[in-house]
Amino acid sequence: MKNLKTKSSEWRGELAKSITFIVTKDCQLACKYCYLVGKNTKERMSWEVAKQAIDYILGHEDDFKEESVIWDFIGGEPFLEIDLIDRICDYLKTEMFKRNHHWFNSYRFSFSTNGINYHTEKVQNFIKKNREHLSIGITIDGTRRKHDMNRIWKTPEMEQGIMPKPKDERGSYDDVVKNIPLWLEQFPSAGTKVTISSADLPYICESVLHLYSLGIHEVNINCVFENVWKDGDDALLEEQLMQLADAIIDGGYYKDYACSFFSESIGKPMDKVLENNNWCGAGRMLAVDANGIFYPCTRFAQYSLRDKQAWVIGNVHDGIDKNRLRPFLTLDRCTQSPQECIDCEVASGCAWCQGENYDAAYTNTIFQRSTAICKMHKARVRANNYYWNKLFRKLELEGEREEYERNKPKSNEITC
Amino acid sequence: MLQYLIILLDDTSVSFCHYDNVKKERRLIGLDDMKTGILFAMKENLNIQFVYPDYGLPQEYNDLIETIDHTKIMPAGNGTGADVFVVEGCHTLKDMDFVKDCVYVVRTDRTELFKEHEVISAALEKTARLNVVITDMEKFTEDDFVAYSSVLASLSKELERLYAGGKSPQLNILTDRMMLDKMNNCCAGDANITLAPDGKFYICPAFYLAGDDEDYGLGKVKFSIGDLQTGLDIKNPQLYRLDYAPLCRNCDACQCKRCVWLNRKTTYELNTPSHEQCVVAHLERNASRELLAAIRKHGAFLPQQEIKEIDYLDPFDKKDEW
Repeated sequence: MKNLKTKSSEWRGELAKSITFIVTKDCQLACKYCYLVGKNTKERMSWEVAKQAIDYILGHEDDFKEESVIWDFIGGEPFLEIDLIDRICDYLKTEMFKRNHHWFNSYRFSFSTNGINYHTEKVQNFIKKNREHLSIGITIDGTRRKHDMNRIWKTPEMEQGIMPKPKDERGSYDDVVKNIPLWLEQFPSAGTKVTISSADLPYICESVLHLYSLGIHEVNINCVFENVWKDGDDALLEEQLMQLADAIIDGGYYKDYACSFFSESIGKPMDKVLENNNWCGAGRMLAVDANGIFYPCTRFAQYSLRDKQAWVIGNVHDGIDKNRLRPFLTLDRCTQSPQECIDCEVASGCAWCQGENYDAAYTNTIFQRSTAICKMHKARVRANNYYWNKLFRKLELEGEREEYERNKPKSNEITC
Repeated sequence: MLQYLIILLDDTSVSFCHYDNVKKERRLIGLDDMKTGILFAMKENLNIQFVYPDYGLPQEYNDLIETIDHTKIMPAGNGTGADVFVVEGCHTLKDMDFVKDCVYVVRTDRTELFKEHEVISAALEKTARLNVVITDMEKFTEDDFVAYSSVLASLSKELERLYAGGKSPQLNILTDRMMLDKMNNCCAGDANITLAPDGKFYICPAFYLAGDDEDYGLGKVKFSIGDLQTGLDIKNPQLYRLDYAPLCRNCDACQCKRCVWLNRKTTYELNTPSHEQCVVAHLERNASRELLAAIRKHGAFLPQQEIKEIDYLDPFDKKDEW
């Protein structure tokens, strides 16, 4: 037994399979930018379906050769189903051990949560039980006014399609921020994910700085991929990011804090052959919902799609139809990109979501890249160039460039 | 670039490819639609292929057809004058009176092909060209792949005998690859489109016959790509081109049909073939390679042609090496 643990104890995050349980499509919040257009209170995963999914996945070890696994739990809000999750995780651990599965001790449980239930006894007990194998990200969007602008509580009337008047909206900032100290105490290096839509562009700078002030050292931030951007939004983003750049550099935050908006690697032309990989991991991931249906990622489940039908790749009874994964696993950057993207001189770092591409495409295809984010990426690149030019000049003048290069914080470029 | 316009003369027009036509009710294309279609083809410089039903057409249709250079695709047994005869099932070949210089398409499922392939062997010296179309390719199992290999080997022996004897019959699944040095696929949506009896354009007859009310995965969709009044409107046209097919553009199974309808049904993407389509095509490719070597034992034959030895049957398995 000792040998077994030693053999597979090394966590290989870069070689990990991500398997997502959509445990519920319910959430306490009704965030205005949420891409989950089909959230509901009815579709909650049963234990039977979860067990069938696990048995299928662990029973087909040859089809899941990745060295490690991330068991990901998503909603809605996953911690609404903490009892189920606890049972799933116990079963996973037991089964991986019993089956002598190569993922035993090379796994993580991962959560993206709105943070509202983080302090509850059940969630805390779960954390204590699984502490060594846990990644938990709490989403807090920045300052109270930015967070509460989008991340509002759901009302019973919303389920009937009746939206509250702006004055009646109830933000969730206070309910989340109270749990941040506990979260950071338990996961000091945890990062948060910030989403930017058109309405909250003016609050980017203050929000990132606010998150730093809360003790969050890594802020992963991205503009929504949907076609929501108005005229002038790019200029506003650029202005905000330049303000943020000044604040980070002048305040010395660059030494210990990271913001994914600024990265040395973005804004460069990309080679058609050598840099032709797909950005998105859809198809390399696996998602399963309450009905036991498998998807190439959660974004292809029906509750994520506005205009298209779910892209089903199998189910817990019949297994995965590998033919339906072939497009995902052969998709490359240039084949799905319009010529303007292939020729783009600031292409690197311009992200896309395969599910959004599919949802926005003229036809039922994942081979048509949405360019809704184009002007926002270009604005980001201009501000990013400003950031690095300013930072490197400062470091050169102060003789700290080499030290910075040795110790610079790493930000997360992965957006989904 | 478009080169061909296929005109389905009737809802019951014979299937000459992988798709089945289960329609029983006759619905002849409107004469005006046919005239407009012919005019469209003339202006776009397209060769026309008329696909016939199993009954005789009204005289005005026959007269109109003869106003333009064309190819006739007919069900075997339906009159004369066909350039291509379609035969349903290998067994039908047994007692057939073959017409010299005509192309024969035999549609067969895998079970019959494995059982009756000797009939195909026997037909090889009676016709200039025989196209075998397997109608349930998407259902091939690992055992079927083995069985198909044996069938190809058996057919190759007969072809070798005929070539050694100075004859040069063509059998699409074995001799095409010997002659080709680049992809020669169906090219529906790229080199050819179909005009259906409803007066609308489709990528190929299969998309018309699929109907708008069926769900082939990803929900019900309208497969029409335009009509005679408003013209062609192919969305995402690049997806029908070889250079936008990641698996196929790196492949040298040049004889593969690369059937976009089968692609759509099995992988949901027009440009991505299924495992079954790839393996079948590679079994044929590899058998062609062996046939080429066997014929060369009898004398010089296609000296410039080379089919390399490969160690895979599905290019998907080699995608990391591209």
